[in-house]
Amino acid sequence: MVSIKRVAVVAAVAMAGLTACAGTDSASSAVPGAAPGEGGGGGVLAGAPVAAAADILPGSTMEKIKQRGELIVGGSLDAPLLSQQNPATGEVEGFDADLGKALAKYIIGQPKVKIVNSASETREALLANGTVDVVFQTYTITPERAEQVAFAGPYYSSGLSIAVKKGTTGISTPQDLNGKTVIAGANTPAIPVIQKLAPQAKIITFGGDPECVQALKQDRGVAYVQDETLLVADAKKDPELQVVGTPFTEDPYGIGLKHGDDQFKSFVNDWLKKIQANGVWQGIWKNSLGSVVQGEAPTPPEIGSVPGS
Amino acid sequence: MSGLLFDEPGPRARRRIRLATVAGVLVLLALVALAVRQFAANGQLAAERWQPYATWPMWRYLLGGLWSTALAAVVSAALSMAGGLVLALGRLSRRRAIRLPAAAYVEAVRTIPALLLVYLVLFALPRYGLDLPLFWKLVVPLSVSNAALFAEVFRAGILSIERGQGEAALALGLTHGQSMRLVVLPQAARRVLPSIVSQSVGLLKDTSLGFVVSYAELLYSGKVLANYNGLLIQTYIVVALVYLVVNASLSALARSLDRSVAGGGGPRRRKITRVPR
Amino acid sequence: MSALLDHLPEFWQGLVVTLQMTAASFLGAAAVGLVIVAMRVGPVPVLRAVATVYVETLQNLPLLVLLVLAVFGLPEIGLKAGLTTTAIVVIALYEGAYIAEALRSGVNAISAGQGEAARALGLTFGQSLRHVVLPQALSTVVQPLGNIFIALTMNTSLAAAVGVVELTAAANRVNLLEAQPIPIFVGAGLAYAAVAACAGFVTGRIERRLAVAR
Repeated sequence: MVSIKRVAVVAAVAMAGLTACAGTDSASSAVPGAAPGEGGGGGVLAGAPVAAAADILPGSTMEKIKQRGELIVGGSLDAPLLSQQNPATGEVEGFDADLGKALAKYIIGQPKVKIVNSASETREALLANGTVDVVFQTYTITPERAEQVAFAGPYYSSGLSIAVKKGTTGISTPQDLNGKTVIAGANTPAIPVIQKLAPQAKIITFGGDPECVQALKQDRGVAYVQDETLLVADAKKDPELQVVGTPFTEDPYGIGLKHGDDQFKSFVNDWLKKIQANGVWQGIWKNSLGSVVQGEAPTPPEIGSVPGS
Repeated sequence: MSGLLFDEPGPRARRRIRLATVAGVLVLLALVALAVRQFAANGQLAAERWQPYATWPMWRYLLGGLWSTALAAVVSAALSMAGGLVLALGRLSRRRAIRLPAAAYVEAVRTIPALLLVYLVLFALPRYGLDLPLFWKLVVPLSVSNAALFAEVFRAGILSIERGQGEAALALGLTHGQSMRLVVLPQAARRVLPSIVSQSVGLLKDTSLGFVVSYAELLYSGKVLANYNGLLIQTYIVVALVYLVVNASLSALARSLDRSVAGGGGPRRRKITRVPR
Repeated sequence: MSALLDHLPEFWQGLVVTLQMTAASFLGAAAVGLVIVAMRVGPVPVLRAVATVYVETLQNLPLLVLLVLAVFGLPEIGLKAGLTTTAIVVIALYEGAYIAEALRSGVNAISAGQGEAARALGLTFGQSLRHVVLPQALSTVVQPLGNIFIALTMNTSLAAAVGVVELTAAANRVNLLEAQPIPIFVGAGLAYAAVAACAGFVTGRIERRLAVAR
């Protein structure tokens, strides 16, 4: 389940050197202690653990990454709060992005990552042919997917919610959407879910989150279905918006790994346990998703608790 | 050219034209003013919504996107020109076995939307283990579709060379291939140069499909920016202006090439053939 | 294959929208093109300038950018229409610039004597354009107009990016559900090719007709 997912893809962007390019070497400004921007993970990453040398088994995926000196992550550039590129710095910021940096630090000793912009349709292929080491991209764990990739985690649990223009009445559950025009992000999992829960709803789709918000404000539809966190963020930025009800789906996010690489999977699961125990996970959450959601960090879902993980 | 359809207007016609012009301009200005007022009333002109585009980092990011656009356009142009030349020669070949497939390719590809080709490369190929890097996911479908368009430009250029040229070359004892290579193509190349440049403007516009592929070209960079700052309309206006400036310069180049090619000889005045998009 | 057959209603619905958009925006584009070309070859300098700027602007902007700007920008200046309507208008304005250029090159191809003869007979600018120049120009531009029609059909697919569920968007949605990209997108491609083939056939017929009529 990819939140603001355009139709899209993968890639080792072929050009180098420019800030605009997808591959972003984050070493420079994400060094622990370097002033992190709001939502940047720099400060939190200072406390992130580094694996003991003994854990980097010879011949393992971890050793390969360590020797390369860089973790290659399949992710997004345009998912606010999760994995969004900051045009001013070229840095990719957010919950998923910072977890990727923390994992890089755990393996390499430094939070050096390269983000390969991927699309939901191609993540399995990217992992299978080794273009990326891991996928941090609101990657919902399902048994079907688990036949093609290995999932560490789940590391976070989220769900779809409904946003309306303030003052709209009569919409609080997905069933209320029947017979109404509903806005959704193109190629997001919201589309099949709406089709199932509200078969009479008319769905219109737009490329990205800002387009969807604008469309809702311009009354192109009466409701906007999207990942709850994103909706909360939108509603915070824009007082015209209001999130109604509670999430009506449960999407456990996993870290995508190459299918069959059990060694790497248990290594990543160990790392998840460590950062959840020492508060780094919670710190990263506070810096990103927590900046729009009130209250303390939620309890992370139990590792391996979902079919397919 | 346009002078042939009407006489030089007399004093009364000139006065009417002046009046109509003034009235027309006033109406237009009023409409624009109304639109701007409404735009401002909706808060879209607020300084803080435009201020980010007065800062260097935003422009650096957009110019980075423009660079990627240029890169994708140049590589696609090179590939589709090569493909187009082969297809054009194939279509003019004397052998049916070559002529028919070339014609079939051009006619078929011309009728499939580039967006659909992008979707095929995007969704279908990875299932068969062929997962191209992002850059090629944009460049491959663009080259496939533009090769057909370039083929038509080249073919028109070759056909525009007087038959006598090829016949004279054959009479001198050159083979068909030699007469093409040494006599016809060099002249055709001169003639189609302006069309190639204006065709490339079309290709540069096509790279905006990177928006769909999430290759970080200009329009997609605009999307990332809009996601970051939430300024959807302002961002796309700025992006549109960048496209306009770049493409208008290229079009101007095409026109000046056209003039210089025309001035340099050639019995007929050619016009730039623009393939519709 | 079953992915295609199971979802025939969706595909059909999408195809109908595509055809509606194509027909409506081509008619609009023809009207826009006629007006612009009349302005461009006419005697009023301001109109000539406006028409030139119009053609240059629209030919140098990606249609996708225009669509996004129109769909989200126009409501902010108080002009709001349905998504499909907006897309039709934008495509008509965009392709109108191309039609104007095709017509202009047709007009330019008419020998100067024709216009002069029309004027010598006392026809006004509008009359000589309507009765003498355009009918002849039309017969030379049937092929280019056919090409514009095909390009326009392809371009309606971009409306998918601004929420119109036409053929491409329908195919994309079915693919999201069925994950069978090859039959789904190839099927959609064949539908477009069929529309274009019809257009090619019709332009061929018209061209022959006009050729005889001369």
